[in-house]
Amino acid sequence: MNHTDPFRELVESYALGALDPEERASLEEHLAGGCADCAQALEESRWLVSQLAYLAPEAEPSGMLRGRLIETVRFEAARDEVPRPRPKAVPLWMWGAVAAAVLFALYNARESRELSRIIGENQKSIAQKNEELKELQQELAALVRQERILADPESVRIAMRAERKDLPALEARWHRTLGIVVTGRKLPLPQNSRTLQLWLIPKAHGAKPMPSLTLRPDSEGRFALLVENPPDSPGATRALAITEEPEGGSPQPTSAPIWVGAIAAK
Amino acid sequence: MSPDATLVERLLRRDVNAFEELYDRHSRVVYGLVLRIVQHTASAEEVAQDVFLQLWRNASHYDGSRGPFLPWLLTMARNRALDHLRLKSERQRRRENQAEELPPVVSAPDFERGLDQKRRAAKVRDLMAALQPQQRRAIELAYFEGLSHSEIASALQEPLGTVKSWIRNGLLKLKEGLQATA
Repeated sequence: MNHTDPFRELVESYALGALDPEERASLEEHLAGGCADCAQALEESRWLVSQLAYLAPEAEPSGMLRGRLIETVRFEAARDEVPRPRPKAVPLWMWGAVAAAVLFALYNARESRELSRIIGENQKSIAQKNEELKELQQELAALVRQERILADPESVRIAMRAERKDLPALEARWHRTLGIVVTGRKLPLPQNSRTLQLWLIPKAHGAKPMPSLTLRPDSEGRFALLVENPPDSPGATRALAITEEPEGGSPQPTSAPIWVGAIAAK
Repeated sequence: MSPDATLVERLLRRDVNAFEELYDRHSRVVYGLVLRIVQHTASAEEVAQDVFLQLWRNASHYDGSRGPFLPWLLTMARNRALDHLRLKSERQRRRENQAEELPPVVSAPDFERGLDQKRRAAKVRDLMAALQPQQRRAIELAYFEGLSHSEIASALQEPLGTVKSWIRNGLLKLKEGLQATA
């Protein structure tokens, strides 16, 4: 039908999650009205959008992730199988109280449903808080690690000079077991969504630079990159370098280094 | 019934071997997608772990009679990864409805059934590579960074109407291309 056309044009972007709030609300209202054409188009668009996942190159997660998952799943499967212990004998008067409570609950079915809803909401809220707490703990752990690397006199200090005079110098600290931290201030934001990528330049003659993590400076130009598991050791590395790369990083540098810092031989 | 749907049915009976098999079949594509979105290996592993635990704990939400498994899993992975990004930048903002985190199962169009996963992945990449760079970029900003039309227009410094057309026409071209392959 013609009146659905303006809505029909929004469906693909809705499935992609790209509609701005006003358009999203108006399409949702339209869908709630039962437009079968748009509902069908949305089903197809959701499938189509799911195919965009193939634009991301496949990557191998660490064996540790698999191990952690299987351990958790085994634990939960075993826990669910454990028979619940039988309750101890309950005094007669308590059975009476239970029966009264059951009758009360049946009689007040509406209140009971309300109570379930509140409990459900509370459980959701607890789950949300737990997730938030987990995130905070991880961020805190990263910050503590970063501080330890910066404070430990055993960390190797690497001054990273900019190839261009208008850029500030960066500083890296490399701790043998805790990892690398690269920090800097007042960095310009890379163009579009390009990002900065750290490279380890091996000592071995002819060896290719080893890719490490990527990070964009924040809106105020602050840059603090923590690499918990560098791909090589300070002893085997001649220098650190940073280049500008497409978002997601590159397996090999696609541009000239912007910052380079040699690692002093001990 | 597809091999994935059979494995998910076994998950409902708390079959750990079925979980391992599903993980081995799909962890690379899930982790690759999540890593592309969150851009950080430790965060990507954390999000991938959440995705597979959600699958284990909420396998009953997947209805094999409604549609294929992998698009559902990938949609869940994308939602989780984008949530992770948003949570990082706006800690106060929470999703109001947790149930939204489990996406609906959607049926695949008829033309989809003629392609195996590898060929489809290659086809999607080819079709996207054939789009104009700015058009492709607009779709990627929406899909991988969760940006809205107006945010994309601002990021690319292009008119809002242009961005809307790019995205819609780009997705329609992708659909036509996939149909033509079948």
